[in-house]
Amino acid sequence: MKKTTRFLALIFCSVLFLTSCSNDDDFTPPEDSKNPEEPGEEQGKYKNGIFVLNEGGIGTVTYISDDLENVEQTIFQNVNEGEDLGGYAQSIFFEDDLAYIISNGSNLITVVNRYTFELVGKVDSGLEVPRYGVIYNGKAYVTNQGDTLDGGVDDFLTIINLETLEVEQTIPLGAQGEALEFIEEENGKLYIQKSSYNLGKKIAVFNPTTNEVENTIETYYIDDNHPGLNSFEIEDGFIYTLSGNHLEKFNINTLTIESNVVLNYQEGDASKLEIEDDQIYFTVGTSVYTLGMEDTEKPEEPILTYNSDSEYGVMYGFEVEDNRIFVADGGDFASDSFVEVYDLEGNLLKNISVGLGPNGFYFND
Amino acid sequence: MKHFLALILFFGAILPLFSQSDSITELQTVLLNDNKLADFSTGQQLTTITDSLLNYNQPSLTSVLNYNTPIYFKENGLGMVSSPSFRGTTAQQTAVIWNGININSQFNGQTDFNTINAGSFNEISVRPGGGSIIYGTGAIGGTVHLNNRLSFSEKMDNQVHLSYGSFNTLDARYRINISTKKWTTQLSVTRNQSDNDYDYPENDGKNLNGEFYNTSLNTAIGYRFSSANIIRFYSQFYDSERHFSLIRPSENRTKYDDVNSRNLLEWEIGFDKFTSLAKIAYLEEEYKYFQNIKRDNFSSSKAKTWIAKYDLNYDISSGMQLNGILSYNSTTGVGTNIAEKNREITSASLLFKHQPLEKIQYELSFRKEVTAAYESPFLYAVAADFQVTDFYLLQAKISKNFRIPTFNDLYWSTGGNPTLAAEEAQQFEIGNKFSFNSFTFSLTGYYNSIENMIRWLPSGSGFWQPENVDEVETYGAEILLNWKKNWKNHQVQLNGTYAYTVSENKATENQLIYVPYHKATTSLYYQFKNWFLEYQFLFNGEVFTRTDNNSTYNLEAYSLSNVGFGYHFNQHNVGIKSHNIFDAPYQNVENRPMPGRYYSLYITLNF
Repeated sequence: MKKTTRFLALIFCSVLFLTSCSNDDDFTPPEDSKNPEEPGEEQGKYKNGIFVLNEGGIGTVTYISDDLENVEQTIFQNVNEGEDLGGYAQSIFFEDDLAYIISNGSNLITVVNRYTFELVGKVDSGLEVPRYGVIYNGKAYVTNQGDTLDGGVDDFLTIINLETLEVEQTIPLGAQGEALEFIEEENGKLYIQKSSYNLGKKIAVFNPTTNEVENTIETYYIDDNHPGLNSFEIEDGFIYTLSGNHLEKFNINTLTIESNVVLNYQEGDASKLEIEDDQIYFTVGTSVYTLGMEDTEKPEEPILTYNSDSEYGVMYGFEVEDNRIFVADGGDFASDSFVEVYDLEGNLLKNISVGLGPNGFYFND
Repeated sequence: MKHFLALILFFGAILPLFSQSDSITELQTVLLNDNKLADFSTGQQLTTITDSLLNYNQPSLTSVLNYNTPIYFKENGLGMVSSPSFRGTTAQQTAVIWNGININSQFNGQTDFNTINAGSFNEISVRPGGGSIIYGTGAIGGTVHLNNRLSFSEKMDNQVHLSYGSFNTLDARYRINISTKKWTTQLSVTRNQSDNDYDYPENDGKNLNGEFYNTSLNTAIGYRFSSANIIRFYSQFYDSERHFSLIRPSENRTKYDDVNSRNLLEWEIGFDKFTSLAKIAYLEEEYKYFQNIKRDNFSSSKAKTWIAKYDLNYDISSGMQLNGILSYNSTTGVGTNIAEKNREITSASLLFKHQPLEKIQYELSFRKEVTAAYESPFLYAVAADFQVTDFYLLQAKISKNFRIPTFNDLYWSTGGNPTLAAEEAQQFEIGNKFSFNSFTFSLTGYYNSIENMIRWLPSGSGFWQPENVDEVETYGAEILLNWKKNWKNHQVQLNGTYAYTVSENKATENQLIYVPYHKATTSLYYQFKNWFLEYQFLFNGEVFTRTDNNSTYNLEAYSLSNVGFGYHFNQHNVGIKSHNIFDAPYQNVENRPMPGRYYSLYITLNF
């Protein structure tokens, strides 16, 4: 969760030598951006494609058609003149026809129609450094880091009324070394990663009916000088976690650990766990590795290694979806960067220029 | 083409006027504390802005220098963090010198030019080009000198300057000088505050959370045992609170407090051909950054610095001077992210100046530092002045200068890198100065090759760490122009500057972001009997905001004009000034709109 690092560092930097914050207000789309395909136009021109979230400066979204042939930059700004997504776009979550785009630098969630990208509304109060969100039972649950210098102490969960777009409840869940990050819903429970920037080892199991943490999973952890919990995924009744280069598998009902694979590599730490079609994926440096759900040994050879000049934005975004692997490179965070799409054998399908600091992929079906 | 356009703008503003002699300031026997500046500036241009001119400017050092020098400023909204780029260099590569002492921050290595109230000083000098041998770290792009003058004469005078303007902005300055043949004392207090809640000229936006205040107390005391035996004491206390303006109302409101105190005691004795100058200085800097003003938590840093310096000058003969300087510097810094650290630096410099012929003088100088904290290069400079004809002066200088790693660079937790070396800049410049009566014109070309530039990059382990990675080449040209004329009841003074700057990352060959190729300024002062009119013009060329020089994101060039007029009576002035009179919308930093037209009224009383 280098994003956090970067954010922290930016706070530190911005105090005295703020370097770049983009203003895309008066941005005109590059001439080479083509109009997306005609089919589906009646349901919105951004149906059937991939969104790349570029954190900014000011956040932007790049649309890539499913066949990777058509690319349009800054789609939100193109559709909604004079509007932008706020500083440091962090993540997007979806529900029905709507997409909720979180800006952690501006304490803002922008709600758009996911097919047309027309602005629907904004949540612009009650948030403080919002990170990730999920929708359950008609409400949005969003993690917030609050004071990012306190190590997680004041972090909180906001519950947002989707009718009014107002924060209706704020639940403190933070503690030292337990900064709130990713959140996922499964069978009526919310699983909240309490580790940001690999500093932490807990996943809280939150019951949205009682608004209480029912249980906590602890992942592999040595101490603050070693990487902790990086990411998790829930699949087929198990919670898979990547923590301190250990891939652990917990039973979602009993929360007991069932297996553990050590993923130690010379090249760096294992990050960004993804599970797709019964296959586990993760990254190490500029490489992507994969292993089967029942494998007990680490894979030795990567399926792909991409080229990056980035000194600190390697694998800034990573996703596996529909037999394709998506890699985003942060570049130098002071100029537009790129994403790459590979097939599952590691063959490069396309390199595509996107915006400033691409950090995530979202799939619009 | 753009270049040409800028020149036209520049000269266009000049041509309409014409005509004879001196006045705005009268100097008397003064003792400039920083006599090194006068003595050892061979091969370099020196621009001095005196206090009478300072009263026509806004109090921030940014504003004064922006309109009167080639230095480019990146200002994060009016009154917010302001970083200079001097000859295409970074903010850490301009040294700010207070009465001869380098005051760049121990933590980030730079001076925020909006935290200096220009009204605290009697004069401000700017010297482009390297100066590390005398002034130490950061003297690469150039040096900015803030000086208090002391004079020994039987007199007492007071000056009050009050200005009030748009956005509830107050600028108040009071100064008293009391002196006898033996004693002299100067006390001053300045206050600058503003709600700074301007409307954006282009849309409905408003500058939110931009309010600030700063207060500064200054003392300068001199005692003269004899004309060759003088003790001087300088002290400054500065306190400020600044909120940082928002881009959107939903953002966290932040603020920044800083408190600085600076004290300097020096004793100068002359005997035979020697002049001995002993100095001791104590500096304190402290800042607190509130990430959210709703809370009490803040992060902070504090540094205390002791400097002891001994300077011995030997006049070998009337045209030959040898000067040795020994200095010892001990800094203790501590902060939220810095465990208490002490850093000691000892340095020795040797300067030699010789005028072998009436028309030629040259300087040779060297400096070496010794410290356990970082690797420091051997510095040298060779400079010469050649008075080719009575109106043409040719100057040249070759030097090596440096910027040392700061406390943040070395000790930041986590990430500080104790193995850093100093940044090094190899420089060359050549200047041509033409003087005809009351008209001077200079054209200077320079080249800098800067290596070991420190940049913060996150390391493999996730946290950020500074490394000596970048190499930058800057080159360009500066034009300075000055003309004065007085005749009958008229008085005219004109100043102009133009800078062409290339600042290229050697690896990518791209221009650095926020360094314009062109900057031009003009200021014109015209007085008829008791009435006066002043006009200031600034042109900043287009800047890149992306390292790949993708021009889609460039900030457009802009031109600003300020117009003021007023009335002199006895020793006093009253005036009114309109800033950005054409209400030009512009951004100096991406997404940070600056104010449109605004006004200030002022009165200066001398008694």
